[in-house]
Amino acid sequence: MKTVIKTTDLSKVYNGGAAEVHALKNVSLEFKQGEFTAIVGPSGSGKTTFLNVIGGLDKPTDGHIYIDGVDLATMKESKLFDFRLRHIGFVFQAYNLIPVLTAIENVSFIMLLQKKSKEEMERRAKEMLEQVGLAEKLYVRPSQLSGGQQQRVAVARALASKPDFVLADEPTANLDTQSAFNLLDIMARLNKEENVTMIFSTHDQRVIDRARRVIKLVDGAVDNDEQFDR
Amino acid sequence: MKILLTLAWRNLWRKKRRTFITVSSVMFAAILAITLMSMINGTTDQMIDGIISNSTGHLQVQDVLYDEEPSMDHALEYGDEVKAVLEKYSDYISYTVPRIQGFCLASKDIGTRGVVVTGIIPEFEDRMNDLSSRMIEGEMFTPDDNYAVIAEGVATQLEVAVGDTIVLLGQGFQGMTAAGKYKVGGVLRFTLPEQNNRMVYLPLREAQWFYAAPDRLTNLIIMVDDARDVPLLARNLQNDLDGEWYAVKTWEQLMPDEVAAFEARDAQVRLFAWILYIVVGFGIFGTIIMMLYERLREFGILLSIGLKRAQLAVICALETLFISFIGVLSGIVAGFIVVYWLYLNPIRLTGDLADIMLDFGLEPIFAFSIAPHIFIFQGMIIFIIALIVGMYPVRKVFKLDVVEAARK
Repeated sequence: MKTVIKTTDLSKVYNGGAAEVHALKNVSLEFKQGEFTAIVGPSGSGKTTFLNVIGGLDKPTDGHIYIDGVDLATMKESKLFDFRLRHIGFVFQAYNLIPVLTAIENVSFIMLLQKKSKEEMERRAKEMLEQVGLAEKLYVRPSQLSGGQQQRVAVARALASKPDFVLADEPTANLDTQSAFNLLDIMARLNKEENVTMIFSTHDQRVIDRARRVIKLVDGAVDNDEQFDR
Repeated sequence: MKILLTLAWRNLWRKKRRTFITVSSVMFAAILAITLMSMINGTTDQMIDGIISNSTGHLQVQDVLYDEEPSMDHALEYGDEVKAVLEKYSDYISYTVPRIQGFCLASKDIGTRGVVVTGIIPEFEDRMNDLSSRMIEGEMFTPDDNYAVIAEGVATQLEVAVGDTIVLLGQGFQGMTAAGKYKVGGVLRFTLPEQNNRMVYLPLREAQWFYAAPDRLTNLIIMVDDARDVPLLARNLQNDLDGEWYAVKTWEQLMPDEVAAFEARDAQVRLFAWILYIVVGFGIFGTIIMMLYERLREFGILLSIGLKRAQLAVICALETLFISFIGVLSGIVAGFIVVYWLYLNPIRLTGDLADIMLDFGLEPIFAFSIAPHIFIFQGMIIFIIALIVGMYPVRKVFKLDVVEAARK
């Protein structure tokens, strides 16, 4: 299996007033193509920081992040924007759809920034919305969708541009049980069908139970890294 | 670019109340600036109109030495040369008002007063300042009559009534004695004491005979159709008339003290306007800050998923452009309605202020101007202020910490 992400001795220190906070401590991990991984741990263990750093949203204090052989840690911000656009899909806890765009426009948005053709955008956006069970809601704005439906649009948006991997920060935290299970089913299916690497930060046992790899962070360091045959 | 335009436009209508507040702040700023400037321009125009119609006219042709030494010896010859030049520019000239005037003594029985005896053609004076409407007794002479019309103050001081005779004595052209006995045919009332206590009018031809200066004038007043033509017309007339004998002067050159007073007032107005613009700028800034901080998280998310800072900046700039444009446009429309109403129904002054204005021959009102340049210029200034202030979110976008913003 091809390595999609590789981190070596990744550290992140925040200077919060008098005390330094070590959010990540020498984290060295590899993620292969098609993995379905949950990053778990108590609050403040460094899960979100880890996703932010490997997603190029935040710079590590030390260490390296290699994606497709390119080190994100040394990349300039202007290049990082473009890199994120082309290689990484994001799903956020609070859905974060663009409120003034319809579902299909939201899903097309990243492809539009990538300057894909109109036909390709429309075909792929419709395909993804069908995949997440929202073929009937193409032209509906986020405010008219339920939380679960919005998160499914967010997943469709993250995957539509065929990124190398998807980072999902607590994607089920705001969802009821049924919506969370639906979302997880969809993500697991797309993970297999699209062969895209998915990495979640989560507290949610329902997500952990579906993950084929679970990495536990404690105080910014890897405490446990287990593989499951699911 | 289309998607950025779409996002900016739809964002405006996403939170209608927020947009309404921001647009309103721009709109009220424009209304305020337009109303203030309309009032200031209106009262200034009113005062200038008062000066022009009651005193100097738009332009005057004089003898070249008259301004330095306003005596009858410096009366200009109103002959074919001057008339030909005026004919050349007749498209710009509405009408001319010829006058000959000098300082004389007026007496009746044992009473004597210093007066200004002015020869006029009533038809032109009426056109310029409606002189005949000031008649309180008797009637205005025609150009062929030979009686005098005097101001009420002169009549009171000399104890003269219509039908009485006064004797006028003064200096005529080139040392001649100007002396004459005239029946009083009418009495005029002026609000300005300086005029009411000094003015004596004779028909022009009679006055020229009195001053022994046939075909001569001390002032040839020129009234134009469009006041904007005055500087150019003054230059052209001066170029075409013999500079050795004739001087062309604008009302500004004839009334330097008043012009200086207007300039001092303009400086105060400009200062006040800048204070207004600063207050307006901070008002708009406040609403933009409120709008910005409500949306920081949204900005963070957009940047996270791949929108470039420059693209987000364009969205913010477009939103500012739309808001400023809508605000200024609605401000101009609403401002026009307010100002037009005040133009038709000016605020009427009472008390001492009204008396002062009447003394200066002005109607005691706060006049408002509806000159198009006020709306265009003030609209543009508010638009530029709104754009400058609206650049703050654009600047903020380039400095935004994506993680911090997305976490908010």
